[in-house]
Amino acid sequence: MPSRVFEEIVLPHLDAAFNYARWLTRNDADAEDVVQDACVRAVRFFPSLRDDDARGWLFAIVRNTWYSRVSRRAGAAELPLDSTTDDPADGALDPEARLLQQLAVARVREALEQLPADFREVLVLREIEGMSYKEIAAIVRVPIGTVMSRLARARDRLSAVLKPPSLSMERVP
Amino acid sequence: MICDEVTRDLDAFVDRELAADAAAPIREHISACASCRQRVADREALGRLVRSVPYYDAPERLRARVSGQARRTTSARRLMAWAAAAAVVVSIGGGISLVRSGTARADTPVDEVVNGHVRSLMADHLFDVRSTDQHTVKPWFLGQLDFSPPVVDLASIGFPLVGGRLDYVAGRPVAALVYQRQKHTINVFVWPASGGTPAVQERAVRGFHVRHWISNDMAYWAVSDLNDVELTEFVRALQKA
Repeated sequence: MPSRVFEEIVLPHLDAAFNYARWLTRNDADAEDVVQDACVRAVRFFPSLRDDDARGWLFAIVRNTWYSRVSRRAGAAELPLDSTTDDPADGALDPEARLLQQLAVARVREALEQLPADFREVLVLREIEGMSYKEIAAIVRVPIGTVMSRLARARDRLSAVLKPPSLSMERVP
Repeated sequence: MICDEVTRDLDAFVDRELAADAAAPIREHISACASCRQRVADREALGRLVRSVPYYDAPERLRARVSGQARRTTSARRLMAWAAAAAVVVSIGGGISLVRSGTARADTPVDEVVNGHVRSLMADHLFDVRSTDQHTVKPWFLGQLDFSPPVVDLASIGFPLVGGRLDYVAGRPVAALVYQRQKHTINVFVWPASGGTPAVQERAVRGFHVRHWISNDMAYWAVSDLNDVELTEFVRALQKA
């Protein structure tokens, strides 16, 4: 697609790519580096892009970029969480309910960040990016059945970490 | 159907990834089995919890760096094609802006609606009228178009209408209805069309899912990065409404 340009096809998915990288790396600086490196690769491999799946293609490159970085510095200590990110808060809630909701959100985020990367990424791709099993399978490069069983195990693990109290907190209006 | 079989397919069921003939017995089973019903409800609650976590948008400096780097890397020829395709903002009296794409290639409607979708997200021009009230959005279009697009809210099934705007497709002004599904935006482009089939055509273009159908002499194009399953559900609801 010689006339199709990077800006028109890849940039619309940059927020999604960053969000995915942010959940993989668990900090802003690494996520930025990963996405920038991924975009360098994306430009290079641009002619290999199939027309219909720019987002999945970009996600796969982000994922490969992240994996090669992680394996390069295997054993390096995890960087601390970025605690400055604002949680979206619903202005309509009263202060107490909002506080409870923020606590619940912080707890879910921590629980998700503590899951193994394999589990974390399928949950992020499914629940946050809303991808189908087929799309996830193409990015993670496993069969669709594996996506399903991995999601099931990831959710079991997450439920166990969160336990019932926070599930009930989520129902606070 | 026994509880063990539900266990096996629980996640695919909750994620609506099961074929209809596989989902039906589960639906039947959970209507009778309180403990399986609870397990489905727990999974759904867990999904809502995960979706409540922050969405990390790309920082502006990253976007700037990446576009700069792409510009340096792409060939001059591509750049010129891009310049030719750059959106030209046409202002119409009354303060309404139409963003018209003067692309060099021969655009089919599917390209044009995907461009319209991308433009609406990137240029931060998603709405001319921002309202969740279909009774506000519909009259607004009456003043802008020579046809009256059907406007329905689907908030009751999780696809709230969030607004509308004018867009420009196939050489004419069209209605763009904007719906939201969690973090995902769905643009529905509507304009009059005669003939055609109500059967839904499915396409995937540049990472976006596209659905097209004709109903009551209106052409519909729905574009989103939402997954196929949920977009299909949305289209079905829209067709029934």
